Amino acid sequence: MALLEIKELQAQVEEKQILNGINLSIGPGEVHAIMGPNGSGKSTLSNVLAGNESYEQTGGEVLFNGADLSELDAHERAREGLFLAFQYPVEIAGISNMYFLKAAVNAVREHRGEQALDAMEFLDLIEDKKKMVKIREDLLERAVNSGFSGGEKKRNEIFQMAMLEPKMAILDETDSGLDIDALRIVADGVNALRGPDRGFLVITHYQRLLEYIVPDFVHVLVNGRIVKSGGKELALELEENGYEAFEGAAV
Amino acid sequence: MDVKSRREKAAEAFAAKGLPTVREEAWRFMDVSRLNDVAFGGAWQASSLSFEALSELVVVFENGVWSAEKSSLAGLPEGATVRSILDCGDARLGSLADSDSGFVLANMAQFSDGVWIDVPAGVSVDQPIHVVHLADAAERAIHYRHLITAGAGARVSVIEEYVGAAGTRYWTNGVTEVFVADGAKVDHYKIQCESEVSFHFQTLESELGSDALFSNHTVTVGGCLGRNDIRGRLLGEESEAICNGLYLLKDEQLFDTHMFMDHAVPKCQSHELYKGILSDRARGVFCGRILVREDAQETDAIQSNGNLLLSRAAKVNTMPQLEIYADDVKCTHGATIGELDEQALFYLQTRGVDPTRAHAMLTFAFANEVLDEVACSMVKPRIEALVQTWLAEVTE
Repeated sequence: MALLEIKELQAQVEEKQILNGINLSIGPGEVHAIMGPNGSGKSTLSNVLAGNESYEQTGGEVLFNGADLSELDAHERAREGLFLAFQYPVEIAGISNMYFLKAAVNAVREHRGEQALDAMEFLDLIEDKKKMVKIREDLLERAVNSGFSGGEKKRNEIFQMAMLEPKMAILDETDSGLDIDALRIVADGVNALRGPDRGFLVITHYQRLLEYIVPDFVHVLVNGRIVKSGGKELALELEENGYEAFEGAAV
Repeated sequence: MDVKSRREKAAEAFAAKGLPTVREEAWRFMDVSRLNDVAFGGAWQASSLSFEALSELVVVFENGVWSAEKSSLAGLPEGATVRSILDCGDARLGSLADSDSGFVLANMAQFSDGVWIDVPAGVSVDQPIHVVHLADAAERAIHYRHLITAGAGARVSVIEEYVGAAGTRYWTNGVTEVFVADGAKVDHYKIQCESEVSFHFQTLESELGSDALFSNHTVTVGGCLGRNDIRGRLLGEESEAICNGLYLLKDEQLFDTHMFMDHAVPKCQSHELYKGILSDRARGVFCGRILVREDAQETDAIQSNGNLLLSRAAKVNTMPQLEIYADDVKCTHGATIGELDEQALFYLQTRGVDPTRAHAMLTFAFANEVLDEVACSMVKPRIEALVQTWLAEVTE
């Protein structure tokens, strides 16, 4: 069974139709990349999948582990193992990163019927995971994303992903605003989390990220539809020829 | 003028003037006429309320009267004295709180007790002095009068805590005067948890010499109607005043904070961070005025007031005011009124936090900015617990 099954998905934002029938099936262990130009619906897709109420699903269905995703609120999707790494991670003053992570990890654990981690167990988990994304100690003590650089914010997203160990992770333009070193660290973190049971959906505008996170499948999103699918070589083709050829085809 | 003459004069003035009305500019959001309708003639009784001392130095008042039995001052360093205001011969009593507000006049005329904390030059009181005000006698007007005098280089922390029995109506009307001499440091905390049907008014006046520090952190939770007047005068160079606060209001509560910071001399700093969280049909007023006089060059003054409304029926009037007559100053002020950030709520939920918890976390985060500024490790946990309890009640 597919981990994430998207069928004829349509969605709108502020009464404007953005997604016009998306079909996509992601199996366990697979890494799919969605590439598309600005305005093609990339961010809408990730927001709809994560359960942002500002985005309205108007047609089709999404099954996650066989269950209808539209029946679940954002926090329930997260607890079931869906993770969204934000394009623009939100700054939250007044809540330390550690406190935030503990609340998140324990919410997910309790949902799985596991015992909440006590302070010591939580610190052990932090120690274990922080090597993976090379996150600085002081960022953990600071308020969530507050005053973080662009790279630090993205690294913090990957760190959260490592802590929460989702079944399915969506990376929304994780490469945007990253220099080459930060990109490599983020990609290393993602690659370390790849495994036979976990699915990834990597959403990006540029091919560059896919040199570091090598996908099994690449899909081209134009005007809210997937207009072409292929292997990793499709990304290179796009890099060379741009989206123009597809934009004509989608209208 | 001696204290006795001041009291007589205040009694005359209060008899002529009475309590303020909404026709006065400073009271236009605050109708206190309800107070005139209550005959505050309840009998005195000892208090059966319990309290948790935050220090070994504790002064307890029961319904307006000093309790020698419950107070404990063992360990007070040599030279420092803590005694009833009724035994105070210091002529400064009443000289600082000289506003013609009816509340200050009534207090000066009628105060029944209070504490005088005197820390002479060079003396440091290491533990905070916890002043507990217990109220469970109905229909009483309690006029507390406190005086803190810190000599040159002296150090002292004072916690004023007000606790009332739920459902008991009374009126607390306090005045606290603080004199901070050159090089002295006074940290003052006020935790106000009066009963939900009581009235609480207080004027806190401070005067700073040079190179002095005065800090005040005020947390307001109780009372159905009340106001804090917080006034600071910076009279010596290189001094700093910090006045932060948090008001948590629900039901039909109406609470007003009036702040006045007077920069009279050069090179002083004042910082005010005030935050309010309002639920139900509660109403808050914040008026913060910073006056920078002509001589007060190189003043550094920052004031901010943020408000979070948890209900559509809650309301806040906020009025930051800068009045600057010097030309080389750094002054900023700002006020906000808003709701919780939708993006932040969504972000927390995508990490598995349920909406109720996400609301509570973000609301606490809003208050946390003020709590972060509380340095005293004895007070901080108490305030944090108070905020958590309040939030649990309004968000449940």
